[in-house]
Amino acid sequence: MVNWNMWLRWSWRDLRARWLQVTAIAMIIALGTGVFAGLGGQEKWRVDSLDESYERLNMYDLRLKFNDDTYVDQAEFEALGLEELPGVEALETRLVTQTQVDASENGDDILVQGLLIGVDVAAGNPVNTLYVPDGNGRLLADTDIGPEKNIAVLEWKFADHHGLEPGATLELSGGHVVDLVGAVHSPEYFQIIPEEGFFIDDSEYAVVFVPLATAQRLTQHPGDVNNVAFLLEDGADAAAVQAEVESRVSESFPARGFEIDLRDDDPVAEILYSDAENDQVTWNTVAFLFLIGASLGAFNLAGRIVEAQRRQIGIGMALGVPRRWIAFRPLLVGFQIAVLGTIFGLGVGVGLSLLFSSLFETLLPLPYWDLSFYVPGFIRATLLGVLLPFLATLIPVWRAVRVPPIDAIQSGHLVAKGGGLSWVTQYVPIPGKSFSQMPVKNLLRSPWRTVLTMFGIAMAIALLTMFVGFLDTFVATIEQAEDAYLHEGADRLIINLNSFYPSAPGMVPAVDAEVQPGGDKQAVDSDLLVMPDPVGDLVALAQGDNPLLAAAPETALFLGGRLIAGDTDLEVALELHDMATAIWRPDLVDGSLTLESGEPGIIISEKAAEDLGLSVGDTVQLEHPQQSDEAGFTNVVTEVTVSGIHNNPLRALTYMDSATTDFVAERLQIQGVTNYLVVQPADGVSGDDVKRVLFEQHGVAAVQEIADISEAVDEALKIFTQVLRIIQAVVVFMAFLIAFNSTSISVDERVREIATMFAFGLRIRTVTRMQMVENLITGTLGTLIGMGMGWIMLNAMLVARIEEQLADFKFEVTVAPLTLLVSLLLGVLTVGLTPLFSIRRMRKMDIPSTLRVME
Amino acid sequence: MIKLENISKRYEMGEITVSALDGISLEVGKGEFVVVLGPSGSGKTTLLNIIGALDVPTEGQVHINGGNLSLTKKANRFKFRRETVSFIFQTFNLFPSLTALENVQFVLDMANEPNSRDKAMAVLADVGLGDRVEHFPHELSGGEQQRVAIARALATGNPVLLADEPTGELDFKTGIQILELLKRQAETGKTVLVVTHNREISRIADRVVELSSGKIVSDGPPRTGKAEIAELQW
Repeated sequence: MVNWNMWLRWSWRDLRARWLQVTAIAMIIALGTGVFAGLGGQEKWRVDSLDESYERLNMYDLRLKFNDDTYVDQAEFEALGLEELPGVEALETRLVTQTQVDASENGDDILVQGLLIGVDVAAGNPVNTLYVPDGNGRLLADTDIGPEKNIAVLEWKFADHHGLEPGATLELSGGHVVDLVGAVHSPEYFQIIPEEGFFIDDSEYAVVFVPLATAQRLTQHPGDVNNVAFLLEDGADAAAVQAEVESRVSESFPARGFEIDLRDDDPVAEILYSDAENDQVTWNTVAFLFLIGASLGAFNLAGRIVEAQRRQIGIGMALGVPRRWIAFRPLLVGFQIAVLGTIFGLGVGVGLSLLFSSLFETLLPLPYWDLSFYVPGFIRATLLGVLLPFLATLIPVWRAVRVPPIDAIQSGHLVAKGGGLSWVTQYVPIPGKSFSQMPVKNLLRSPWRTVLTMFGIAMAIALLTMFVGFLDTFVATIEQAEDAYLHEGADRLIINLNSFYPSAPGMVPAVDAEVQPGGDKQAVDSDLLVMPDPVGDLVALAQGDNPLLAAAPETALFLGGRLIAGDTDLEVALELHDMATAIWRPDLVDGSLTLESGEPGIIISEKAAEDLGLSVGDTVQLEHPQQSDEAGFTNVVTEVTVSGIHNNPLRALTYMDSATTDFVAERLQIQGVTNYLVVQPADGVSGDDVKRVLFEQHGVAAVQEIADISEAVDEALKIFTQVLRIIQAVVVFMAFLIAFNSTSISVDERVREIATMFAFGLRIRTVTRMQMVENLITGTLGTLIGMGMGWIMLNAMLVARIEEQLADFKFEVTVAPLTLLVSLLLGVLTVGLTPLFSIRRMRKMDIPSTLRVME
Repeated sequence: MIKLENISKRYEMGEITVSALDGISLEVGKGEFVVVLGPSGSGKTTLLNIIGALDVPTEGQVHINGGNLSLTKKANRFKFRRETVSFIFQTFNLFPSLTALENVQFVLDMANEPNSRDKAMAVLADVGLGDRVEHFPHELSGGEQQRVAIARALATGNPVLLADEPTGELDFKTGIQILELLKRQAETGKTVLVVTHNREISRIADRVVELSSGKIVSDGPPRTGKAEIAELQW
């Protein structure tokens, strides 16, 4: 009968005899299983929470957006009876306009762009329902509607970042002051993605919600709406409803261009869901690499334990113990290490799970979070954590029990092992004295151990390179975008107007009844309101003794559009500038800014050219707005020729020379107007000064210093950098554990050699230096392999992400030289310095006993 | 050359104190070939380790080459081992990743000896291994490995050779060759101390120090008279 207790005690003693190495491997296993267990459920957490949050806040199923500067009468729209369509549960008409928001408080200058959204409070805000977290004030109510009431709630992330609480006031474009009563979550803004699609920090974009009537009054669009959200019944055919809505709206408002998005196309939802999925892949990869590293370490250790037990195995054979029982003891040790590591790992998993769940709640504030304990993740982690390292011990054990008993049992010089690859040095001379050559020869002598250690370290460095490469790639892309934006006119500001205005100053008087000094608001009929003249106002700012602007504003056009080439199409943001006089022009990698023929020529991004299969000289269909009547735009298609390809990595950015073609007059049919201005501050005037003055100007919807883009990006990158630091620390720790394990095994294995060196008078520091050189070689090779593996993984993961999630950008996979240097230093130094931890053991070595050990 | 005064060495093993050496006093002169004889546990290896500064006595003084080893700091004991004594072990303790030549060269390089390769070659030739210099230890027989170990010890040029059961792992014929080598070293003026439990070996010694239970029970020429190596048999 098998005495289990004896076997367990015996293997437990084996564990205790090598407790340092066992602990090191167990900790690596713990890192792997911990990541698996703790983050294995993050996709489920996020997806379930998003589903529930969208459900609870009645996220739209369809959203109809009229073209920029295109509005319809609310009553006329409601008369279409779309709410009665089969499958439609509710709809909400809204007014969404760009605005500037001044949230400056207590000396803090907070002047940002944003959106003003009028929601149908009277109808109970049935779609995209706002949600106020506890302690953040209240929702909008019927009582907030009134001609004198400017009551608003603010998107939570912006409010939270700037500490804006109920009771604070905000000033919007046109000088309108609104009173905050709450901070809210809105399903369309769980993450902030501006229309232009560029990366922006939550703290740099304010979404202000007011009652619809208030929005109509503040934006001087009484009775108008431009955005409708539909909520469909469960099981409704969204495509059928979409077709019916499209048909009815086109029929009733033939001159108004619009588009209808399905919920699945919502850019925020798309990113949040695909982020959850892709992050899970990343974490799984991390966990796998940790576990592979741990398995290599376990393999190393099992090999050493088996080697140390060689004679005991031989004695077992001599006593007739079956091989399976001989193998049982070392296997039991491997199993115990795996179980020990997994138990640690489950603890780490619980910790990580708690840490990340609170991090998610902070980074991605949702009204509802389901962060329940994810049992399958822990089961999977347990299985992998136990199985992988255990399987790794099988190989050396299997080899050990297959040797003939006589080979296993003999001792002394007769057991002298082969020299591994030592013979190589007879053909490849190594410079230096014999003891300088010894580290290389030691590595060659145990090629398996060297390779396993190298790959263990490589796993850690691959992780580091992959993560840092992610960051480098993003930074490089952003820097390329910055270069493209800032290569000339770097101090310029871009101004979005809230409508089209005459591009020549003084064509209409700059009068607004609400701001006329001494003007009587009540006495002015809204129909008689005269359009403001922002261009004229800005021209004035460039004149006088102390001009604010360096010159009169450059007038341009900014339109949404779509490029169509064959079966492929993509949305673009089209800017039309007079390229001969523009403050800034796109930097081209191919072609020219204009076509000599005078035909409409378009400048597209490299990514758009790549995705559409276009090159300079090709023609492409451009769907763009065309003014149909005074109230709005419809969409038409014009064939244009690609005149140039620019270097900005943002795919959507598209440009056209407005001066050399009749495109504006004939195809847009809006000649002589502008909705987009570019200005430069006068000498000694800051961008902020200009922003503050322009904030007061009527017709100005948003002002942005072009240089702000990089600041916003830097701000947003901070969190990535912080996460990266944690990853660096963990990875370095893993590399250290692997190196420590390997060094410790080496010291164990070569203890007699070390004792011999001591007997011949070599000092501890000399022996340590030799070990460090050996580790430096392993560390360098492992690090180089790791960097190569990291590069491959980075490419694979980025390609997958770009296809699914980042199609709007052109990414060049980049690992900065500094990154490579840091990885190299971290890998090499950590591993190289590890032998310092063996000094104490060498100091305490009993040299005489060690020298007499009979192996 | 070597002077031990009232050396004792005790080990604490749990609650038990084991006395390995008990009041040993001994003097060995230059060029002497001394065999320390005794059964297992008699303290002979402990004695060798104390003389070689691998171990320190619990009591007593060790004088080697005029210096008091008992007062020497740990760091200086490394220097002492580098410059005064050389070890030859029963299990050879060669560096497995170095060839025979490199094993010998190692100690010369350590001492910053110029032309270490040539010197190592010469010493290996002296021990009869001139044609095996590029072989790794696992490619050599036991006797060859021990000869490499002797060459390594000789290459240091240190005046004291300490050999712990140098023939223990070897067959008779090879053992004889090794003893010849060691004997020759004493004839060239080195002090050679050989620790063994093989009484036959003691017959070729100038002097036999016999230990039992940590004490010297006899010290003098071989009891049966000094023999030539060719007369040995075991």
